[in-house]
Amino acid sequence: MGYVAVEAGEEVIERAEQLFEKRRTEGESDPVSIDQIDEQFGRLVGQVMNEGGLYAPKLAARALKQAQGDTVEASFLLRAYRSTLERWDDSVPVSSDEMFATRRVSPAYKDVPGGQILGATKDYTQRLLDFDLDGGDDPTADWDLEEAEPESLRNVLEILREEGLLAEPSAEDDGEDYDTTREPLVYPAPRSAILQELARGETGAITALGYSTLRGYGSVHPTLGEVRVGSLPVQIEHPYTGDPVEVTSVEVSECESVVPEYEKRDDAQFSFGYGLVFGRNERKVIGMSILDASTQLEGNEPVHDTEFVCQIVDGVDSFGFIEHLKLPHYVTFQSTLDRIRAIRERTADGGDSPATTEVSGDD
Amino acid sequence: MTDRGESDDDTLRTGDGVDAGESSTAAETEAGESTTGTETDAEDETREGLESDGGVSEPAPSSPGVAPESVDGLLEGVESAGIEGYNYAYLDEHTKREVRRATLKAIAIPGHQVPFASREMPLARGWGTGGIQVSLSLLGPDDTFKVIDQGSDESVNAANIRRLAETTANVDPTRDTTAASIIQTRHRIPEEVLTDEQILVLQVPTTDPLRKVDGSDDRNRRRHAHQNYSKMWVSLYENVVEWDEIQIGAAYPVLVNGRYLMSPSPIPRWDTPKLHQAETLFLFAAGREARIYAVPPHTDVEPLAFEDKRFQRERFPEACALCGSTDTYRTEVETDDGKRLYACNDTSFCEKRQRDPSIQKAHHVDRDVGWERLEEPAVDAANDGGEGR
Repeated sequence: MGYVAVEAGEEVIERAEQLFEKRRTEGESDPVSIDQIDEQFGRLVGQVMNEGGLYAPKLAARALKQAQGDTVEASFLLRAYRSTLERWDDSVPVSSDEMFATRRVSPAYKDVPGGQILGATKDYTQRLLDFDLDGGDDPTADWDLEEAEPESLRNVLEILREEGLLAEPSAEDDGEDYDTTREPLVYPAPRSAILQELARGETGAITALGYSTLRGYGSVHPTLGEVRVGSLPVQIEHPYTGDPVEVTSVEVSECESVVPEYEKRDDAQFSFGYGLVFGRNERKVIGMSILDASTQLEGNEPVHDTEFVCQIVDGVDSFGFIEHLKLPHYVTFQSTLDRIRAIRERTADGGDSPATTEVSGDD
Repeated sequence: MTDRGESDDDTLRTGDGVDAGESSTAAETEAGESTTGTETDAEDETREGLESDGGVSEPAPSSPGVAPESVDGLLEGVESAGIEGYNYAYLDEHTKREVRRATLKAIAIPGHQVPFASREMPLARGWGTGGIQVSLSLLGPDDTFKVIDQGSDESVNAANIRRLAETTANVDPTRDTTAASIIQTRHRIPEEVLTDEQILVLQVPTTDPLRKVDGSDDRNRRRHAHQNYSKMWVSLYENVVEWDEIQIGAAYPVLVNGRYLMSPSPIPRWDTPKLHQAETLFLFAAGREARIYAVPPHTDVEPLAFEDKRFQRERFPEACALCGSTDTYRTEVETDDGKRLYACNDTSFCEKRQRDPSIQKAHHVDRDVGWERLEEPAVDAANDGGEGR
């Protein structure tokens, strides 16, 4: 039976797993701890949490370690774990005004109420490889800082809203948010479902599709009202009193975009796009706000097609299906071979042979 | 799952569990109780079946919308679940109920694609996550489970899926098609005739045959609603004009019960006639695309074709090199010494034939189903339009 190529059993699977695990442990350095990943690779942990749709930094760090740094694999691990958990409750909706922002920039205005807060960023640093990175000293150790109360900031786009310049996306009237992890997504989908899909979308895919419209394949080129990073309180309803109680907080990135595409003929208003994800990921929230706006606007390009955007951006879907092509396909391929041979037999009998042939792409 | 998700299919609720038929088990009925009752004692009952499984505990099932007694109680519940804590048959009971509801709806409307809230599974999407969700929602401890991938029980992905069902649902695995109560399969229908006591769960990569002619799910759902399949017919016609053949390999589109156009999943055309007026329930499940559909027993399943361009099955120039069969689906194998052989694709049946060359596909049933005696169409007869039904 030597020629039946893909025979294997559980032992083979186990060995393959062990070999994969060996790759992580065979180096000479100490194993990296989950706390180290959580503390020192915060951006990665944030990405895994927002693509995984679960705020759990330690679990995300564990998933990253297990996946050897593959972010999509790690967010997949997180989602597969999440899907076995009960959903206990919904949190109380909270305004992002209540966010304790550690960074907030508003490209739309020079000065904004509360001021521009640069915060921790590498945006304006020269991107030079740092050969002295191994030092463990705290560069801010000798800063002289006053203890200040966390301040919540007024939303910049309120200025435009008060003036009536910003079109509000139509509200959903049933009052309940759609949860795409618990209900099937069918199109046309409500905006809460689209936002959820975008928030869980793969960072690279969101960035690429968002970029596509800036590059001319779409009509959205926004001005950012603001980009924020900060800590957002999570409140639930107290089971006895019914009052909202703050139980924890989550680090999020948020972006609000103004799109100079006028929503209404008779009463010109800017369009609006929104992005919010767990952890710090400014590129993804900006991309998300572009796609939120583009899917609400008409156009022939891919970014204006809600179905296209939602179906393409999910990393767990695309990674799974792209990689499934590695599975054996010899049954379907035999069927395909049968068709092309039948066609070639016929053309050999009767004359001209086709130069190229399109073989049906079955899976 | 939210309350809203449940109430959609209220009418089907009373029938919950019926679809599982023989495979319906004590665990399943108890699951029903645990979601209707608000107390946690139902949880103890569902746990019973697991004790033997060693170390598999479960998160406490709670009813959607039931207010927890206190925040502390709620947190306690989360902690007791633990990282190792997976439910019987992996999925939580609400998810299994939802999958079974979608399955019942699919059976009630043959060939219609029913959306369901597909969960992320511990397998990658595109690797059988829909199939395994349906299988796990049906399996009980008394079931015998067979998994094949491209006709083989031994393929690594089949082994992986079987392993998940074995460890979480405690079922007996089998390779023998006739011994299985539930068979999960990727891209084949076994050669041996299936009976009314078996369920075949087919993994589906691409749910909608109309996807070939239009990428939009929204528009295609409208077409199905109006039974408007003209674009599909035009595409087949263009095929004939261009190649003088319908050039579809596997996943040949079929019309189910005279109503819905359906992709039979990428089974070879060889297997397509097996769906027509069968004794068996066929369930089709797509995890990534979150759809379930079904061909119930005794349903008409007709491949799309023209009067003068008939549906054709695959042709093979040689018998199986291992068992000598000429009435089975074979795949070609290129050997190290440069020869090409043909070997049966259904390895389980091929092994039976190697032991007993006279064994028939219907050896275990006392009726004639028609297709099992179909010989392959001769290669040189293909130009005459091949076989039809």
